[in-house]
Amino acid sequence: MAGCSLRPHVHWAQRHHELYLRVELSDVKNPDVSIADNVLRFRAQGHGAKGDNIYEFQIEFLEPVEPKPVCRVTQRQLNITVQKKESNWWERLTKQEKRPLFLAPDFDRWLDESDAEMELKEKEEEKINKMKIESRVPKDPFKHLKKGYLIMYNLVQFLGFSWIFVNMTVRLFILGKDSFYDTFHTIADMMYFCQTLALMEILNSLIGLVRSPLIPAVIQVFGRNFILFVVLGSLEEMQSRAVVFFLFYFWSIIELFRYPYYMLSCMGIEWKPLTWLRYTSWIPLYPLGGLAEAVCLIQSIPIFSETGKFSLGLPNPLNVTIQFSFLLQMYLIALFLGLFVNFRYLYKQRKQHLGPKKRKMK
Amino acid sequence: MKHYEVEILDAKTREKLCFLDKVEPQATIAEIKNLFTKTHPQWYPARQSLRLDPKGRSLKDEDILQSLPVGTTATFYFRDLGAQISWVTVFLTEYAGPLLIYLLFYFRVPFLYGPRYDFTASRHAVVHLACACHSFHYIKRLLETLFVHRFSHGTMPLRNIFKNCTYYWGFAAWMAYYINHPLYTPPAYGDEQVKLALAVFLFCQLGNFSIHVALRNLRPAGSKTRKIPYPTRNPFTWLFLLVSCPNYTYEVGSWIGFTIMTQCLPVALFSLVGFVQMAIWAQGKHRSYLREFRDYPPLRSPIVPFLL
Repeated sequence: MAGCSLRPHVHWAQRHHELYLRVELSDVKNPDVSIADNVLRFRAQGHGAKGDNIYEFQIEFLEPVEPKPVCRVTQRQLNITVQKKESNWWERLTKQEKRPLFLAPDFDRWLDESDAEMELKEKEEEKINKMKIESRVPKDPFKHLKKGYLIMYNLVQFLGFSWIFVNMTVRLFILGKDSFYDTFHTIADMMYFCQTLALMEILNSLIGLVRSPLIPAVIQVFGRNFILFVVLGSLEEMQSRAVVFFLFYFWSIIELFRYPYYMLSCMGIEWKPLTWLRYTSWIPLYPLGGLAEAVCLIQSIPIFSETGKFSLGLPNPLNVTIQFSFLLQMYLIALFLGLFVNFRYLYKQRKQHLGPKKRKMK
Repeated sequence: MKHYEVEILDAKTREKLCFLDKVEPQATIAEIKNLFTKTHPQWYPARQSLRLDPKGRSLKDEDILQSLPVGTTATFYFRDLGAQISWVTVFLTEYAGPLLIYLLFYFRVPFLYGPRYDFTASRHAVVHLACACHSFHYIKRLLETLFVHRFSHGTMPLRNIFKNCTYYWGFAAWMAYYINHPLYTPPAYGDEQVKLALAVFLFCQLGNFSIHVALRNLRPAGSKTRKIPYPTRNPFTWLFLLVSCPNYTYEVGSWIGFTIMTQCLPVALFSLVGFVQMAIWAQGKHRSYLREFRDYPPLRSPIVPFLL
């Protein structure tokens, strides 16, 4: 090194685990900063105390450091950060006892040991708080079990309704309109199974396994099961009506989208086309399904009236008369109210899930 | 003496409705409401809800202007409570209905049952007894409304009368139809069942009346004070030890007695619906007792001892 090498002004500060060096040179281009044998070597062209020149310096550190200095150049200065190999407080920067003339403390960044310790503690506390907030959802030992159960439930339902849908479609192609009349005969067992299993959905919502609200689930499951088991199941005459075909078809198409969507969302996967289908297909299908249910009710009312099934006439020990056909008429009104409630809920859901995509501001 | 100025704004539109100057500091809200009625005669005092904050609670009629947290110019927000009807009117209407309706069915007035049953009498003794009990119950209620109850609010919204009358009259007709029906089936366990039921019914009627009298005596005439009710020398009032609203407890008891007596499902349903409604009221009353009185007896439940 030539004797007339210029030294820049260097200010330094420390924390427990790192060192900061601020080199007072402006307009520095291509600085040469490296650490070898625990010695920092600096050389750069820049504008310093003695004008535009090449400035250089060397520092042998008091204790071992990582040989990877991080350099940040600004217009007015150069900031070098060096990691200490061991975290402790140094009584001075350099190995030599005498402070080099170009080196001075950096009062802007200076902290004495106790203050630095407090700063560390604060940083630790911040980290702990952050972790606390993130882990406020308690670690659930049954999480995987619950997920597995939900995936299985949705899968089984999907398979069931797929079977129904495919079966009905194939029969429609083969038999045409004739398939309408014995739909119940062929499909009912599977439909009974799927709809009985659907009671689990109420349970899932009740015990908080699933985040969806309880009331729409109850309305849907009870509504469907009432039509299926009471109105259709108990009357042979209703089972050979054409409306059964449409009813089962509409129900199964809705479920063909709903269950796979739930299954995938349990697994954390989102398939956008499926999401769109699940939150849009109900718009035509729910009214159609509701209409089919209403037709079932209307067709069954005269039958219940004539046969007096589920009805109770006087005299009887309870001193009351129950006319099931009258109750069905009331139920018909309730059906439309229930549909309306579910509509509103589904519309809200749709807006939430398919809503404005531009949520983040530029 | 410094006079206050009062301005009244609409709670929803913030429109200035009325400005009163030279209001006495000792004026009560009731007097201010009267002054407001002078400028807006369609809003009589019972219809007015005046509040300090548009979304806050209503000020009471007894509150004094000086004691409120207002400056010398007080701003009140007005909300129209809608057409009001007095509690006494509502009670009389809703109780007179069942009394008369039941009797129509009891005497089998034409068009209710088939023509061959018009004006006939039931051949079951229990049906006559049931009519007596039902009528006694509603006559008792009418007399209590006129002579016993002391109401804290003078009025309620008009639509309540339609709601309440539909409920009482509807259920009364439904029950009366089946009890007085020519094909009525008397209780399965015969006289024993009827006697037991009658005992329960009378016991609860007496209990209910005792509570009403005890509550009346808590409150001096014309006042609206609220005090904790305690058991008196009347043994029926000892239920106060266990329950906040024993009048509701006895009421449910009466109807259970009537159900057992008539063995009629509509009566059971009426008792159930009544129980649910009274349980909700009892919970509310219990909670407001707890809020208002620090030393409220901890042993008491709202309506059913130890349970509800």
